[in-house]
Amino acid sequence: MYQTRRDFVRNLGLSAASIPFVLNLPSLGFANQTKRKQRLVVMFTPNGVCPWNFWPEQTGSDFTLPKSVVSLEPFKKQTLFLHGVADKIRGDGDGHMRGIGCLLTGIELFPGNIQGGSDTPAGWAKGLSIDQEIKNFLQKDPAGKTRFGSLEFGVMVPDRADTWTRMIYAGPNQPIAPIDDPYQMFKKLYGRTTDNKILASVLDDLNADLKKVAGAVSAEDRKLLEEHATFVREMELELKSAKQHGEIGHKVPDLEPGVREDNDNIPKISKMQIEMMVNGFANDFNRVASLQFTNSVGMARMKWLGITEGHHELSHEPNSNEKAQEKITKIDTWFCEQLAYLCKRLAETPEPGGPGSLLDNTTIVWTNELGQGNSHTHNNTPFLLVGGGLNFKMGRSLKYKQVPHNRLLMSMAHSFGHHVKSFGNPNYCGDGPLNDLT
Amino acid sequence: MFRNFAFTLSATLVAACLTAPRLCAETGEQLYSSQCARCHGKSGEGSKKYAKPLIGDRSVAQLAEQIQKTMPENDPGSLTKDESLKIAQHCFDAFYSAAARERTNPVRIELARLTIPQYKNALADIVGHFRNGNTRWDDKHGLKGEYFKSRNHNQRVFDRIDPVVKFDFQTEAPGAKDFDPKAKQFDAKEFSIRWSGSVLIPETGEYTFIIKSDQSVRLWVNDSRQALADGYVKSGSDNEYKGTLFLLGGRSYPIRVDFSKALQGVKDKNPKPKPAFVELLWQPPQGVVEPIPERNLSPQFASDVYVDTTKFPPDDRSYGWERGTTVSKAWDQATTDGALDAANFISVRIEELAKTRLNDERKMEKLKVFLRQFAKLAFRKPLTDDVERLYIDGPIQSSADNLQAAAKRSVLLILKSPRFLYREPATDNSAYAIAARLAFSLWDSIPNQELHDLAANGKLKTTDEIRKQAEKMLADSRAKARLRGFLHHWLKTDHARDAVKDPQRFPGFDSAIVSDLRTSLDLFLDEIVWSEKSDFRQLLLSDEMFMNGRLAKYYGANLPEDASFQKIAFEKGRRTGVLTHPFILSTFAYTSETSPIHRGVFIARGLLGVGLKPPAEAFTPLAPSLHPTLTTRERVELQTKGVNCQSCHNVINPVGFTLEHFDAIGRFREQDNKKPINSAGTYTTRAGELKTFNGTTDIAKYIATSEDAHLAFSEQMFHHLIQQSIRAYGADTGEKLRETFAQSGYHVRQLAVEIATKAALNEQARITKHEIRKENLPVGK
Repeated sequence: MYQTRRDFVRNLGLSAASIPFVLNLPSLGFANQTKRKQRLVVMFTPNGVCPWNFWPEQTGSDFTLPKSVVSLEPFKKQTLFLHGVADKIRGDGDGHMRGIGCLLTGIELFPGNIQGGSDTPAGWAKGLSIDQEIKNFLQKDPAGKTRFGSLEFGVMVPDRADTWTRMIYAGPNQPIAPIDDPYQMFKKLYGRTTDNKILASVLDDLNADLKKVAGAVSAEDRKLLEEHATFVREMELELKSAKQHGEIGHKVPDLEPGVREDNDNIPKISKMQIEMMVNGFANDFNRVASLQFTNSVGMARMKWLGITEGHHELSHEPNSNEKAQEKITKIDTWFCEQLAYLCKRLAETPEPGGPGSLLDNTTIVWTNELGQGNSHTHNNTPFLLVGGGLNFKMGRSLKYKQVPHNRLLMSMAHSFGHHVKSFGNPNYCGDGPLNDLT
Repeated sequence: MFRNFAFTLSATLVAACLTAPRLCAETGEQLYSSQCARCHGKSGEGSKKYAKPLIGDRSVAQLAEQIQKTMPENDPGSLTKDESLKIAQHCFDAFYSAAARERTNPVRIELARLTIPQYKNALADIVGHFRNGNTRWDDKHGLKGEYFKSRNHNQRVFDRIDPVVKFDFQTEAPGAKDFDPKAKQFDAKEFSIRWSGSVLIPETGEYTFIIKSDQSVRLWVNDSRQALADGYVKSGSDNEYKGTLFLLGGRSYPIRVDFSKALQGVKDKNPKPKPAFVELLWQPPQGVVEPIPERNLSPQFASDVYVDTTKFPPDDRSYGWERGTTVSKAWDQATTDGALDAANFISVRIEELAKTRLNDERKMEKLKVFLRQFAKLAFRKPLTDDVERLYIDGPIQSSADNLQAAAKRSVLLILKSPRFLYREPATDNSAYAIAARLAFSLWDSIPNQELHDLAANGKLKTTDEIRKQAEKMLADSRAKARLRGFLHHWLKTDHARDAVKDPQRFPGFDSAIVSDLRTSLDLFLDEIVWSEKSDFRQLLLSDEMFMNGRLAKYYGANLPEDASFQKIAFEKGRRTGVLTHPFILSTFAYTSETSPIHRGVFIARGLLGVGLKPPAEAFTPLAPSLHPTLTTRERVELQTKGVNCQSCHNVINPVGFTLEHFDAIGRFREQDNKKPINSAGTYTTRAGELKTFNGTTDIAKYIATSEDAHLAFSEQMFHHLIQQSIRAYGADTGEKLRETFAQSGYHVRQLAVEIATKAALNEQARITKHEIRKENLPVGK
């Protein structure tokens, strides 16, 4: 589904002569010779799904999108449903804890002091998560190395660090906190650029006042202030030249100011974070990202959908409670719309320095800590993939017989050319990466 | 230090001048021009061959002795005593002494930027103003401990003050081991404790805080939102959590520990008996990991402190004290980074700081009130209309009703302003300038609201008013840190030194002992300076020392092994104040042998204020193995017997030898290299009197009562607190301070007050003597 560079430029209505200027690309003529940029996004939503409204009934490339996921229609050919993948990791911790903690690590939790609603207490995961494994791999390669390597986005993740709130691990006992404050993320990504802008805007006033103050001291003392003034002028020149070189290409997203972190702002925060994620990719700040909605056992109350109950309590309702299942379906639908919005933004954004769009080179893996909330099962853990980052054959609905999810994690690494022999607990990696994805 | 490197006559003084016939009736000036001028220049300015000017701090008598013994360089002793004295007198009066230099080349008070500590302190205090920051210190120590029945810090059973956080409860309830009846109110399987209060940071630097526990535990330091060390989740065998913070000395920071013995998450309905322990430790800069001591903890509440962590190029210390008289590009960049960090910090918290909300209709008005106060504190005076327009109205207008953007722009501009970054020029005579000088000298920071109010109400005019306020300002933890900083400067212990010793010779002298020794010295200094009498002489004469169990064991004092620091009489009759403190003695020593030269320079230059220049070239000390029969004293005498060396070493060695009874780690000894110790020494005072000493206690007694030492102490304190040359305040300023010091019974704190007062006033007095007499000095003086 690649759009060629030429198609893309034609769509923009630009002449061939302006191409190099638009894309600002020295390697334009050789784009097909360099390795393309591959990207991975993990999107997490909690509490399982309503399965019959989520999974297509059919297998193969001819399938219908069920109710919860209809918003993916425009991207159907870039979508891959992996039904029948199971998180088989057991050991300490309750289903939710293991659900989120072993999801990307594929390995058990340490024994610890966090007690769930059942099972034994546990601590953090015993290993790093697959996204960090891939990030480390890319960061070692000069062609794959980026400023941040990976960015961990969150939406309304509770302000407490425990096994239920952490999905990403840098190593054993090293959970990474997602950044769920868009302004904090903005500062991390664009702090320097905006700081420089503000700085440049006050330098004239500063120079004027320096002169005034210098006029009020003795001639001998004035030397010091005059020396100071030369540094301020130098800074002004440096800021100007920085602006002329490169910084123009750094698009800075516009964030609505003053959006508070609270339940009712989840839709806004979600959009803001997605906007920044796309911008980050366009600026090649990172090749790996994650987007974590709330947490395992997440309690979001989606009042904007007319749902007043918390997500987690609803997820415990039995299949026979039709009203509850309808609400869960609404919630799943809303989450899928966030995914679709991300896909749309990626698809609209041209791949800098390469053919096609960002989506052509990015795979989003939408996953969950449970298959279904009311049974706390790890069978049929949702793995819904969109986009062309992983070289998987898309536009299909596959059904497995509860293969260990470690094998899928391995497939993700292999797609990046990182041929791991196992990932997480090796006991679940025996048959290697899933063989029918590419 | 250049002006101290004073008087040493070099090898270039040639023989020719000596053979010229001389008449006894010649004046000092004539003698100088015939004997000395060829190398030293007509007015001591130096020549091509010998470029260093003849300037320094020695007295006429000391100078005469110097000339007599070492000049002319190739035939020392050829001048008569009378001739040497005449030459010395002439040099002293014409160009050598401070007074002469003041006459020929007046030193002025230079415009200075804020030093790095001043910059960082100012930021902390400006932001602190809006958060009820407190820099008072009181006598309460330890942390408040709140003990709860539940695991979630509710159902309180009791509160108490815990001196340190170091508990091993085993499987029992809190208090059970002490048979506290309240212990029965707990279920030993589930309880929680919260320790809170503040931690007093003695000196600026990086502190690592460590919390250890086998239970759920979290630690917050100087940030009530973000835990510094988070052990809420116990995972695997981890039971140690830590975090490192850069903190400013002389301030208290909020600290809190939440400890919970129980499973977290879903409540455990059937808990089993389990052991539990918790321990709160730190590693201060230059220190070792240890439980945070009781004296550094207080149950008092403290607000978060804004700490700037920007890396600045170091301040100029070429004169021996920090000065802000140079600027550089790196410095300018650092002020930008610091200003941006602060502007970002403030804009994020602008609602809290300016007491408004983003959706408040009057938010821009409230922002303006906040910024006005912010700028007033930063600029150390009320704003004129012009200044307000530039720094506040302008940024607000160009930020289109965006509260955070306006705050950021304005704060950035204020903190980059020369009005913030530079000290008051000497021509500023206002009460606000006086307030600023007081604050910078005693707190190393900006004036607080109280000083602003006094200035506004005309209450900082007379010497008495200023002195009274200076006295009051000493009751602040920043003043305590400031004075301690000076004492380290005085004792030359202000730079981290490598105190590693030969492990064969001194087994067990490890970093823990060095850290304890440093603490012991600090406690000693604080105890004397902050006692009622604050008696300088006690710093040299006290026969008591602070020791803990570890030091006592190592140095052979009688204390239980786990004893915390306490004052004990140690080797009475041998030990005498700082001179015999093992930290000083081991600092001024080599790894296995003593160094009478380092000790001598410390006493002569540091304590007695004798100007000494560094050696013409670097020498390696003679190796003991090359002279197996010699004592250290004999080796030093052998190596420094040359005429070139003697010009300084005839002063250095005889005072350095008086400490020979103490080895390289400060233990008392009777023998060196199997020979009895000779610790006799001499010193020629500024008044020309030859003093002889029989060992350490003798010289300590002399230094304690010596005018030379009192003058050196006063001048050094002046330079440390005021950061300008004392000569800029009149050639007799040092001498006058010494007199007041003597009159006060050598009261150290009083001296600080006197210096701060004098500098606050004198700065302006020098510029516009006229006006000040007329307006500001109706009383006193």
